[in-house]
Amino acid sequence: MINLMELTICHMYPDLLNLYGDIGNIINLKKRCEWRNINANIVNFTVGSDVDLTKTDIFFMGGGSDRGQSIVYSDLTQYQKVLSNAIEDKTTFLAICGGYQLLGESYIDAMGNRIPGLGVLDYTTESEEGRLIGNVILKNHLGLKPETLVGFENHGGRTYHDYDTIGTILTGNGNNGKDNLEGMVYKNCLGTYLHGPVLPKNPHLADHIILTALKEKYDIDKLEQIDDKLEYKAHHNVLDLYGV
Amino acid sequence: MDMRPSIIAGKLTIYGLKVFGMKGTALPCKVAMRLNPDILKLIDLRCKKKLIITGTNGKTTTNNLINHILAENYPNILSNLMGANMPQGIASAFLNNLKEEYDWGIFEVDEGSFEDIVKYIKPDYVLITNFFRDQLDRFGEIENTSKMVYDAIKPLDTTLILNADDPMVVKFKDLNKPSIYYGVQKTNFSSMNQSVVESRFCPECNEGLEYEYYNYGQLGKYHCENCGFKNPDYKYRISSIEYINNSYEFEIGTSPGDSSTINFGYDGIYNAYNCCAAVAFARETGLKMDIIKSRIGNFDYKLGRMENFTYKSRTIKIVLVKNPIGLTEVLHSIANDERRKSLLFILNDNPADGTDVSWIWDADVETVQNIKNLENIFFSGIRADDIALRLKYSGKTVKPELINSNIEDSIEDAMNSAVEIVYILPTYTAVYNTREIVINLINSNNPKIQRFREVLRSKLGA
Ligand SMILES: [Zn+2]
Repeated sequence: MINLMELTICHMYPDLLNLYGDIGNIINLKKRCEWRNINANIVNFTVGSDVDLTKTDIFFMGGGSDRGQSIVYSDLTQYQKVLSNAIEDKTTFLAICGGYQLLGESYIDAMGNRIPGLGVLDYTTESEEGRLIGNVILKNHLGLKPETLVGFENHGGRTYHDYDTIGTILTGNGNNGKDNLEGMVYKNCLGTYLHGPVLPKNPHLADHIILTALKEKYDIDKLEQIDDKLEYKAHHNVLDLYGV
Repeated sequence: MDMRPSIIAGKLTIYGLKVFGMKGTALPCKVAMRLNPDILKLIDLRCKKKLIITGTNGKTTTNNLINHILAENYPNILSNLMGANMPQGIASAFLNNLKEEYDWGIFEVDEGSFEDIVKYIKPDYVLITNFFRDQLDRFGEIENTSKMVYDAIKPLDTTLILNADDPMVVKFKDLNKPSIYYGVQKTNFSSMNQSVVESRFCPECNEGLEYEYYNYGQLGKYHCENCGFKNPDYKYRISSIEYINNSYEFEIGTSPGDSSTINFGYDGIYNAYNCCAAVAFARETGLKMDIIKSRIGNFDYKLGRMENFTYKSRTIKIVLVKNPIGLTEVLHSIANDERRKSLLFILNDNPADGTDVSWIWDADVETVQNIKNLENIFFSGIRADDIALRLKYSGKTVKPELINSNIEDSIEDAMNSAVEIVYILPTYTAVYNTREIVINLINSNNPKIQRFREVLRSKLGA
C-alpha cells in the first residue's frame, strides 16, 4: 500500500515570502517524496486563495521583505485559529526566518514599536543593531544522524523563547547571537533562521519532516532509503569550509 | 585642488603591482583613496559630461556598448569598462588613463556605492537598468536598495534614462526629474508566465500588479488595478526580436514609422534591454541612428563576460551569472541553441559573489530540461557541490565524476568534451580566472604560438 501514500504540502504565501531560496525547500520535499513514490501535492496559499487549510499535512512558510511580511500579516490573522489548532494537533510545520518570527507573539522593531505577530506560539523577536549574516553550523537536538545541520542566516531580528531548540550553534549566530541556540521546536512545528535553503543540504532534516507528517497520517515509522551521496557531499563541503 | 600626491601614490602602486605581476582593478586605488578621498571630485572636474549607469543586471554590457558607440565621436572617454563599480574601481580607471580632460565620464556604479559616488561625481544622466535581487546579504531587500539610489538622486540636477518595463525603476518618476523611457514591447520572447518569483507589487500602493506579458523577471507590461500605475510611454522601444544564425536581430526605434534593424551577436532578451538602453542614451546625446546601428553591429565583447573563443574547432562561450534572473535568462537563451553542447557551472561564494549561494534555488534551473543536445554538465568552484545539488533537484542526472572544485581542471575537461559548443557559466569572482585559463589552453594548443615559444626559448638559451 506504500504507493498510495500522499502528502499535501501547503506553501504559505509563495509570492510574498520568497527570500533567499526558501522555495528550494518545497522543491526538495516534493522530489524526496516522488523518489519514494509518495505523492506530494503542493498547494500554493496566498492572499485571496480558497484553500481548506485543515487538509494540510505539511505547512511551509518562508521569509519575506518587510513589505511582503506586512501584507502577509494583515491577511494571515483571519487564519490564526486554524493554524494554532493545526499546530496543537501535531501537524508538521516548517517556518523559516520571517515565517518563524510571524508565528510568535510580537516583533519589536528598531524604534521600540511592538508589532503583533500571529501569537500561535509564545515568543517575541526584537530588532537589534546589525544583521546576523553568514553560514551556520549546528549540532542538532532532534536526534538526527549525522549530528550537524548546515545553513545560511540573514536576519536583523533576535528571537527569545523557552521552547526546545533545533540545535546548538557551532558556527554562526542562530536565534539571537547570545545563547548559542538555534530555532524552535514545539510538537511538530519547527521554526528556524536557516536559509540555504535548509533542506537540500540536510537530507536527514528533510526526511525527519516527511516522516513526521507520514507518521501522523499513516502511522509508519520508517522511510525508504534513497541515494544521498551528493547531498552529504555538499553538507560536508560546508563543514570543511569552516573546519568543523 | 592639488591631487598630485594621491595620484602619484596610486600610480606607484599600479607600477608596483605590475612589477610584481599582480593584477588588481580595484587594489591600487585603495591606497590613493586613503591618501586623498577627494580623488573622485577631480574626476568630476575633468569630465565635461557624465553618465552613471546603475541597476542590478546589464550595467557592464550597457557601459561597454555605450563606450563603443560614443567612441565614434568622442576620443576621450573615461570609463570603468572592466566592471569594477565601487569608488576604488572608478578611481582605478582614472589612474590608469590619466588625462587633463575627458569628453565623457561614463561609469557603471554598484547600487550600494551609488550614494557615495554621487557625493563627488555629479552625473548629467543617470541610466537605471533594473532592480533584481542580487547579493542580498549585502543590502537587505531590493526595496531598500532602490530606495537608497532613489534618495541619492533627489538632490541631483540630472536627466534620468529609465527602463519603462520595470515597475521598480518607473517608481523613479516620482522624483520629477526629466525622464526618458525605454523598453521592449511584446515579442516572440515574451511569455505569459513569469518563471522566477520576483517583486511584482505596485511600488505606489503595494497591490499586486496585473501583467499582460513578461519579458524577463518582473520586466513586462503591467498595470495596477488599484491606483492606475502602469508602464509609461516609451521614447525608445524594441518592437521585434528574431533569433537568426545564433545572433539576434532587433527592430528598434522611437516610433512605428522610425525604426531600424540592429544585429547583435550575443544572446538573450536581457541584451535587447541593454541595446535599447544604449540606443536611448546615444540618441539623447545627438548621435545619428545609422552610426549607432553600425557600432552595435560590430560590437565585440572583450571582457570575459560574453566572450566567444575557438578551441579545437569548438566554440567556447563564457557568460557571467550572478543572480536568479540572470541565470534563468542565460539558461533560456542556451535552450535556443541546437548545437551539441557541454555546460560548466562555476559557483563561488566569495564576498563579491555574495556569500549566500541560496540564490541558485530561486532561479528556474528546471529550464535545463529544455536544453537540446546537452551532452555533459560539469560543476566547479568553491560551491561546486551546491550547484550540482541544485541540478539534481531540477530532475537532471548529475554525474559525480564531473564535479570538481578545481576550476582549472574542470575547464580543461569541459573544453575537451566532444561537443560543438561549451558554455562556461562562472560567478563574478571566477570570471577573470576562467578567461585566463581558457586563453592559456587555447594558446597551448596553437602550433604557431608553441613554435614561437620554442624559438624564444632557444634564443634565450633556456
Ligand atoms: Zn498601485
